[in-house]
Amino acid sequence: MRVTDRSATYGTLSGLQSAASRLSSLQAKLSSGKQITTPSDDPSGTVRALQLRATAKRYTQYAASANDAIGWLSTADSAYSRAVGLVQNARTLVVQGLNAGAQSPSGMAAIADQVDAISSSLIQVANTAYNGRPVFGGTTSGTAAYDSSGNYVGDGGVVSRTVGEKVTVQINQNGPQVFGSGSSDLFALLSNISANLRSNPSALSANLTALDGALSTISSAQAAEGAAYSQVQNQQTVATDVGTNIATQLSDIQDVDIADMAVQVSAANVTYQAALQTTANVRQLSLLEFLR
Amino acid sequence: MASTFGEITQASTALTAARYGLDVVSQNIANSDTPGYTRQVAQQGTVDAVPGVPSIYTAAAGVGGVRITGTARLADAVVDARLRTEQARDGLASTTSSQLQQIETVFPEPSDTGLSERLNDFWKAWAPVANDPKADAARIVLLQDAGTVTNTLNAMSATLSNQATASAQILNQDAAAATSAATQLATVNAQIAVASATGLNENSLLDKRDSLLSTLAGLLGGSATINPNGTADVTVAGQPLVTGGSAVNVTVDPGYTLAVGGTSVTLTGGSLAAESTALSTTYPAYQARLDAVANALSSVVNGVQAGGYDLSGTPGTPMFSGSTAATISVSITDPKLVAASSTAGGTLDGSNALSASVLGATSTGPDAAYAALVADIASASSLAQRQAETQSAVTSSVSALQTSISGVSTDEEVSAMMTYQRAYQAASRVMTTVDDMLDTLINHTGVVGRA
Repeated sequence: MRVTDRSATYGTLSGLQSAASRLSSLQAKLSSGKQITTPSDDPSGTVRALQLRATAKRYTQYAASANDAIGWLSTADSAYSRAVGLVQNARTLVVQGLNAGAQSPSGMAAIADQVDAISSSLIQVANTAYNGRPVFGGTTSGTAAYDSSGNYVGDGGVVSRTVGEKVTVQINQNGPQVFGSGSSDLFALLSNISANLRSNPSALSANLTALDGALSTISSAQAAEGAAYSQVQNQQTVATDVGTNIATQLSDIQDVDIADMAVQVSAANVTYQAALQTTANVRQLSLLEFLR
Repeated sequence: MASTFGEITQASTALTAARYGLDVVSQNIANSDTPGYTRQVAQQGTVDAVPGVPSIYTAAAGVGGVRITGTARLADAVVDARLRTEQARDGLASTTSSQLQQIETVFPEPSDTGLSERLNDFWKAWAPVANDPKADAARIVLLQDAGTVTNTLNAMSATLSNQATASAQILNQDAAAATSAATQLATVNAQIAVASATGLNENSLLDKRDSLLSTLAGLLGGSATINPNGTADVTVAGQPLVTGGSAVNVTVDPGYTLAVGGTSVTLTGGSLAAESTALSTTYPAYQARLDAVANALSSVVNGVQAGGYDLSGTPGTPMFSGSTAATISVSITDPKLVAASSTAGGTLDGSNALSASVLGATSTGPDAAYAALVADIASASSLAQRQAETQSAVTSSVSALQTSISGVSTDEEVSAMMTYQRAYQAASRVMTTVDDMLDTLINHTGVVGRA
């Protein structure tokens, strides 16, 4: 093949350009730190990165929802503990009333007053609120689950939090589920006990049985709440693990391996310099240099 | 021996030939960087044989010497045709690649600013509404994120149609350039026909012809026929574009297809083919895909809204209006109108919002449609770039072959220059010698006895 000025120029120029373009694309990757600067750099990696980013975003929301659920459940948990304590106090008082048949009516009335006080404390406990919402009030838009005389004013709505992929946890128990429903609920029972202490002590033993029943209802509701709590905690751990995992995968796909890239850039740099150097030297030569 | 002065005439033709040879060398060196210039060589032949054997049967011998028989143009028609074919392919491949790369910039993924991340934010914003349905703050954030999604879609659609408009301008410019090249070729053809008929040197016209043929091949593809008299005819997809000294126009139809001389053609090569396909097929397709994303977003979210109840307990109204990427907008401004609840009556139920918060993961929603769109443009662009690179390598090698045949080599010209210089020196020496001999004959012969 003849070598002419233009073909030689053409050849060296295209060689120089490809070396320069390789260097610049590697430098773009190194400086941006991204393996994928446009989707066509890695079509399947791009799609995978989109999926991973969406999943990562969902998991940050799951984590936020789980934190919120833990807040709600902790609030409810302390309410359960206080309710159990108050009912146990009431039970002690009923036992006192049963064993003190000889007590004066004024003594019985004093016990009844204490039961009334416990009842109103329990109403406060039952109206425990988290973030302005009564935790035992279902999905009511009001600020209380029970009115001052112990009637349920909430609804039967379910409050749940999505804390993982396809994991939705119910975090609330309605007032009736915790404190019994209708005329047989805890507040009606306490006012019945109060009345019986004052006027009909013989009915107290039946009340005691009912009170034990109410205690076990609260305990089992608390157990259900505890199960939800541990499920949410598990999901928090899962979310942390998955989050780390996704971050690693995403980094594998879209981030540059700095060390590897630095080596590649310096190799490309050497190639480019060599191309420039030889072009500068070789193209100076001509027959004219040697004619005198 | 013809005459006493025969050698002088011979040497004189040699001087003329050497000078002409040097002229051509000078022309080659002067044009070594001229695009489209083809190397030329002076062709010389002997003027009759120098009479050797006197014979009564031979005709009267001429004076002898050398003459210039022509100036050859060292082009290879086969390689030139091959280069034009590759240039047509290169025009198609590189323009397709650049069009797709341009479309690709509308989808800057994966990034923190692309539509995908905006959609993720939007879906994520439903969960705080579900967790705390009575809080206006969470609802306001949701509506703002919805607004960001629609603004992003509007902007993407606008960018895509702006790019299409710009491409349409380029298409029109290129069509005009093709018409102009065809018209110039017709003019050059006419000049070549005249030059060829009258025996003038047509080499520079042929260079001009080949460069116009290259331009036309890069723009339109088509095929060129070189006629015996040096003129070139060009047909594009079966339609004659240039025939001898006449050319027809290349025009753009309303549907971005091209017409040669008023007849619609489907181009198979050249950058105009790529531009025409991009405008008639590629841009509308991606615009439609983007519209489908907007439509899916609108129908999915409006479906959620319709299945729920807002904060005051009335059934939800659509959140998005408009079903194309260009027209989609958020149609509710009151944050209380977000239908977070799935029960009527104004309760603080958040289950409708909760189910909306995970809709980004569904396989039929806008996210999936958008991911498929990004995957398609990414692989189409990647494929086109690889094809363009491969084609560029092929074109370069054929182009290198062509320049190696028809290009000017300075070294070669300098050695030719030395040859002509020596020939000129030698012919001069012949003349001096003859002159010397004649001097001896005329001035120094028969002078015996002169004082």
